Amino acid sequence: MQDPDAFDLGGFEFSASSHNAKEGGFTSKLATKTGTTISGVIYADGVVLGADTRSTNGETVADKNCEKIHYIAPNIYCCGAGTAADTEAVTGTYYVYFSIFQLILILKGMVSSALFLHRKSTLRESRVVSAQSILKSHLFKYQGHVGAALVLGGFDIHGPQLFTVYPHGSSDCLPYATMGSGSLAAMSIFESDYKDGMSEDEAKLLVARSIRAGIFNDLGSGSNIDLCVLSRAGTKYLRNFEIPQERTYIRAEGYKFKTGTTVINKRNFQTATSTTTEPKKIL
Amino acid sequence: METYDAVGENNFNPSSYHGNHTKQHATWSPYDNNGGTVMAVAGEDYVICAADTRMSTGYSIMTRQYTKVDEMSPKTLMASAGFMADAATLKKLLKGRCDQYQFANNKPIGCVAFAQMLSNTLYMRRFFPYYAFNIVAGLDAEGKGAVFTYDAVGSYERTNYSCQGSGQQLIMPVLDNQLKTVSPLVLPAVSSATPLSEEEAIDLIKDCFATAGERDIYTGDAVELFVMNKDGIRKETMPLKTD
Amino acid sequence: MIPSRTSHSSSIGPGVVPRGADPAYDEEVKREYDLRKNIPHLGKGSKGRPFSIDPNVGVMTRTQTPYVTGTSVLAVKYKDGVLMACDTLACYGSTKRYKSIQRMKLVGKYTVVGFTGELSDFDYISTLLDELEMTDFCQDDECPRTPKEIYNYLVRVMYNRRNKFDPLWNSLVISGWDYVEKKPFLGCVGMIGQHYVDDHVATGFGNHLARPLFRESWKEEMTEQEAEKLLKSALLSCVMRDKQMMNKFQLSKITADGPGEISEPFAIDTRWGYENYVNPTKYAPGAW
Repeated sequence: MQDPDAFDLGGFEFSASSHNAKEGGFTSKLATKTGTTISGVIYADGVVLGADTRSTNGETVADKNCEKIHYIAPNIYCCGAGTAADTEAVTGTYYVYFSIFQLILILKGMVSSALFLHRKSTLRESRVVSAQSILKSHLFKYQGHVGAALVLGGFDIHGPQLFTVYPHGSSDCLPYATMGSGSLAAMSIFESDYKDGMSEDEAKLLVARSIRAGIFNDLGSGSNIDLCVLSRAGTKYLRNFEIPQERTYIRAEGYKFKTGTTVINKRNFQTATSTTTEPKKIL
Repeated sequence: METYDAVGENNFNPSSYHGNHTKQHATWSPYDNNGGTVMAVAGEDYVICAADTRMSTGYSIMTRQYTKVDEMSPKTLMASAGFMADAATLKKLLKGRCDQYQFANNKPIGCVAFAQMLSNTLYMRRFFPYYAFNIVAGLDAEGKGAVFTYDAVGSYERTNYSCQGSGQQLIMPVLDNQLKTVSPLVLPAVSSATPLSEEEAIDLIKDCFATAGERDIYTGDAVELFVMNKDGIRKETMPLKTD
Repeated sequence: MIPSRTSHSSSIGPGVVPRGADPAYDEEVKREYDLRKNIPHLGKGSKGRPFSIDPNVGVMTRTQTPYVTGTSVLAVKYKDGVLMACDTLACYGSTKRYKSIQRMKLVGKYTVVGFTGELSDFDYISTLLDELEMTDFCQDDECPRTPKEIYNYLVRVMYNRRNKFDPLWNSLVISGWDYVEKKPFLGCVGMIGQHYVDDHVATGFGNHLARPLFRESWKEEMTEQEAEKLLKSALLSCVMRDKQMMNKFQLSKITADGPGEISEPFAIDTRWGYENYVNPTKYAPGAW
């Protein structure tokens, strides 16, 4: 029989929490939390976002060239740090493919989907504050259990905007922002060299430098630099803007094995038979 | 082999270590893991001992130029990964013992004797271990390459190749594949040294480190190879990725 | 030879064998003392056995949490020497408790030691260093201790205390001019004895905020002016982002030319007037 008090709590059943407390607390070990350096800066006519491309799983590198700058809307992008699944689920991604008759757009992710419908309904460009508002409400609702730390940037009718959004739902509106395990390394670059009203090239180089600082000083960050420039002129997604280092040594002769390296003990051939004689026609 | 449980990876608690106190000092640990990969390969008439030069703590790099391989005697090299303060202390102690051996016997200590001494020294600290994962490489009395591989509390064996530290899981299977030779139990006895020439072994080691540097965040910056043969010891350095 | 009991005196407190606890040891000390009467740091007021555990107390741990602390120390080598910088603040938790503490210490002629962490523990380390310096001075052999020797000494002190589960809650930066090898020396040791030498060093938060800048711009053939500029840009990023850091710094310099110098306190220019700081949501009406 369950604890009768559970009914007073509006139908929720919390008996597992006391069990978990006894066991030393519940920790989720399923999610991949990835070390990251992400940053963004506002310049004269827009915003530049940046990210490294290393995805880690504990002490090993899971992906050497992943994408951490996520699509929100055509004029809004968002860098994600923290639990990979959460950053991907709350922000968004899209891909387009061509069927015989039409172009099909697949849109995934919470905010990008919401803003897409909102655009279709209002016939207006999405605004950065809408994304910020949806994100922080969602994250606050989940009280930090949705572990997404974000740098949100975009350009709308009001101009360039840059936010950081923390996993608990607080946010800051800033001229320059960093997040992730390499945030301090990246921030040291901004603190020494940020200027108001930079040109696009200056801003790109500064963000690239900040990401490079994360790549070379933070073990959770590495590989390449991705940038995204958002301005009145449109959006430029600069995938692998810089590849700072290549592998330093490759074995010339590779690893080739002579035929017969694996000894064959037995051979057994069998004729495969099919139950259907005619292939099914698909409409 | 390697049954030692990594004490204090995160929160080695000195109070609970000594009994019944309530847990209140979990923030301080006498151990840290400074990462790094060390390896050695023995040939018929040479031995190579190599290590990367990164020393890190948590997600940050302390230095990119930390030498993990030391010449303990003219015939003995020792490389350690793990907690570098323990490793350095251990090496300091052993170097002193090597000097004493030299004074007492009027000859430098050989690698086989040194290997046993390291094992004894590690076991002396059985209940407050040196958090160091060691490899000893040298030329034995016949001039054949020898590699000795250890756990943190002194269990060791003589092998022909070994790898320890943060890149162990990545490198060891490659070495098994490339270097595995005849079992030492086979009769009549067959040399179990690796069939590779010195140059081929260097090539393999460099590739192993470059590969480990790609996937292990604690391995990188540079790799130092100490090659020992009948002509003496020479050192080679190759840069690795620094990210 | 048995270790001296004076040099690590009663200020160690528990963790030292007091007189009377181990009569056999006392006897040994007495014999040893008679033999070595003229060694200055075997003083009369000796209270116990150094680096050992009092059998009556059992295993004890002392500094488990720091109380009054200093934050990062930054240092860089350049072509003629080493520059080191840190602020003059000692915090009590998040209170700015002591605002004019000098966190660097000149040891002998050629070494400067800076500290991060517990102030009182560093005071104790200072007494050790003074004693070391005194014995060196008394030898009067015109062969002062090199920074490397002082570094190695401090590494052993820190590591031995961690072995007793009684750490000195500090990270130390040791800079100096190695007059034997004729080149600058720079090393760092932490509270569990982890140590390394490098061309540039930063402790605590500085390892995250200053070293990225050092790694980007440091060059072996830097002039003093370039090194100072680099150090000040790192101080700026530290003072902007480390809440325990205060805008009142001292800079120390050591070269081949003689005694190290520690500067008067100074402040650096900070910037608060960024347009988007003044009015952060100017372009984001509706943000909350």
